[in-house]
Amino acid sequence: MTEEPSGNRIESAVIAVAFFAVSATLLALIGTATRAGRADADWWTRPALAPGIFLAVLVLANLVTVWGALADLRRAPPTAVERTESLALFLGWLKPLEFIAYFLTYLWFIPQIGYFPATLAFVLLLLWRTGLRSRGWMLAGLASTLALVGIFRIGLGVWMPAPAFYDLFPEGVRMSLIRWF
Amino acid sequence: MEFLWIGLQQLADPMVFLTMVVGAILGVIVGAIPGAGAAVAISILLPSTFSMDPLNGMTLLLGIYCGAAYGSAIPAVLINTPGSPVAVLTALEAKPFVDRGEARRAMSLAYSSSFVGGILAVLALMLLTKPLAQVAKNFGSAEFAMLALACLVLVIIGNGGRRMPALAALAFGLFLATVGIDTAYSTQRFTFPGLFEWFGLRTPFLQGIPLVPMVIGLFAMSEALVQLTSRGAPAPVAQLKGRFFDGFAEIFKYPRTLFGSSAVGIGIGIMPGVGEFLAQQVNYVWTRKLSPEGHLFGKGAPEGIIVSEATNNAVPPAALIPMLALGIPGEELTAMMLAVFLVHNVIPGPDLFLNRPEFVAGLYWTLFFMNFVIIGFLLVATNWIARAAQVNKRFLGVLILTLSLIGTYASGYNFSDVFIAIFFALLGYVLRRHHWPLTPILLGLVMGPILEGRFRQAVGGAGGDLTIFLTRPISAILVAFMAILILGSLRGWLRTRKAHG
Repeated sequence: MTEEPSGNRIESAVIAVAFFAVSATLLALIGTATRAGRADADWWTRPALAPGIFLAVLVLANLVTVWGALADLRRAPPTAVERTESLALFLGWLKPLEFIAYFLTYLWFIPQIGYFPATLAFVLLLLWRTGLRSRGWMLAGLASTLALVGIFRIGLGVWMPAPAFYDLFPEGVRMSLIRWF
Repeated sequence: MEFLWIGLQQLADPMVFLTMVVGAILGVIVGAIPGAGAAVAISILLPSTFSMDPLNGMTLLLGIYCGAAYGSAIPAVLINTPGSPVAVLTALEAKPFVDRGEARRAMSLAYSSSFVGGILAVLALMLLTKPLAQVAKNFGSAEFAMLALACLVLVIIGNGGRRMPALAALAFGLFLATVGIDTAYSTQRFTFPGLFEWFGLRTPFLQGIPLVPMVIGLFAMSEALVQLTSRGAPAPVAQLKGRFFDGFAEIFKYPRTLFGSSAVGIGIGIMPGVGEFLAQQVNYVWTRKLSPEGHLFGKGAPEGIIVSEATNNAVPPAALIPMLALGIPGEELTAMMLAVFLVHNVIPGPDLFLNRPEFVAGLYWTLFFMNFVIIGFLLVATNWIARAAQVNKRFLGVLILTLSLIGTYASGYNFSDVFIAIFFALLGYVLRRHHWPLTPILLGLVMGPILEGRFRQAVGGAGGDLTIFLTRPISAILVAFMAILILGSLRGWLRTRKAHG
């Protein structure tokens, strides 16, 4: 059961503590988040039994991980380099959140402007944001979006919510827009 | 014979054949692209297969699974970049070949040993699944509960070096499986209806944690986030000249390594939770010790490539054996595929051969011929695929994230599924950054209902007496097996601690 080193020790310890806190909170909520069951009922049918056991194991495993991480930091206190690195790593956590924010905006725009325009804008924005800004990359983004529409909307018939302004078009055009874009 | 003939008739359906070819080609391509891989592709395409005939859906997903196992050798040899952990040994062993100008020979060795491993595993699937299903007919709830528990113990033991994170991940997955309505009391567990009502919403967890958004978030979106936040230019591709067929006979100079590695891959594929990576590593060390050319390992030994690729490619068909015979998936990809079975009300397990013989026999033959399709495609398209494998990681991240929305939304046409996927994407990103395993979460979610349901049935039938698990012979054997595994693991841990003072 020797554990592999997993990056910066301060960052690992903070994450282990966070996981432990969440799992302990869930275990503490077992009485309110599940029904305990009748006192005279068979013990193996009680709703809290299975989640209680699994959460107890989860809390225990997280506790061992926290214990190990803190003991390691006590045995060999973090160096100045590790401290600086951990700060940079914590700031790095904002990066995926930024992309998730774009993703949520994309999700919001689909019923407003339609799947194809929203997807094209999302793909081009992400390409631009990740530094792929040349004309070649933008054309690759356009081609990929068309391929996605072709495969999933037209080929596999995946439905997406249609924006209200499609109703302004004549029936034939409207149906095509709903079906394909 | 009639059973196999029915399967061949299934393959004669043009749609099944077309799906097999498309799945195999797609699998090779995603397997060759580092950062894509079978898990990402299968999780995104999973909801699209729900509207297909079950054989078509499974054929597409199995094509991706098997094709990716072959395709992972391309970047490992030609770019010296293992696209997945199972290609690490191939990359290590192939580099000296490439340096000597023998890239084509290394590719031939990889392809031919992959082919032999894949075909032998399909034959094992054909021969072993039905007898195992016959044995499983004698299983009661106690046996199934202990079998599920034994699989979960293997999942933890198989994560050598990361057992505590694996235990935590597995417990989390099992906990997630309990969320939703509990059938015993028709009561809700961890659905937090009050919290959602406070926001004017209905709880999305009444039916439990939905598998597809969870899988897409954990395996595809988290990978996209890793790719989007990464930097680095692609490595150059080694050029190939000549014909691959010229090197195909070379593997038969090492029959013990070739057939032994295939057998190990089949055995490990059947055993849940161990995984091909561990199988490869152990097999590599053994073969190096036993081979007269052991001193050449790591310096460009043909046997090194054979061990890696034959083991790796024998796993996918073999992993289907416990799933078809017992209804128990052994790793993340078969756990995802179980969703296709459940959507179409195809119940895997002992009765599958009785109820859906055409489906099982059809799967056997599609898997068999799939290996020929893949090898044929690789023979003509390797140079082209190698260039595709150099795709920019950030561009790949953009594509995966965009595809994730379609995959998540198409599974239930429900935007709350997308939020569930986002939660698991962030969780997966954190776990990936710390090299903590993701697979136990999925296996916990899939195996949790089997474990809880069968445990309740067994204990209920025995009037609450837990010794039921020790008084039934097969169950007792499984308990003893688990005890040996756990004690052996603890002993190894104590030894390591002692060695490190």
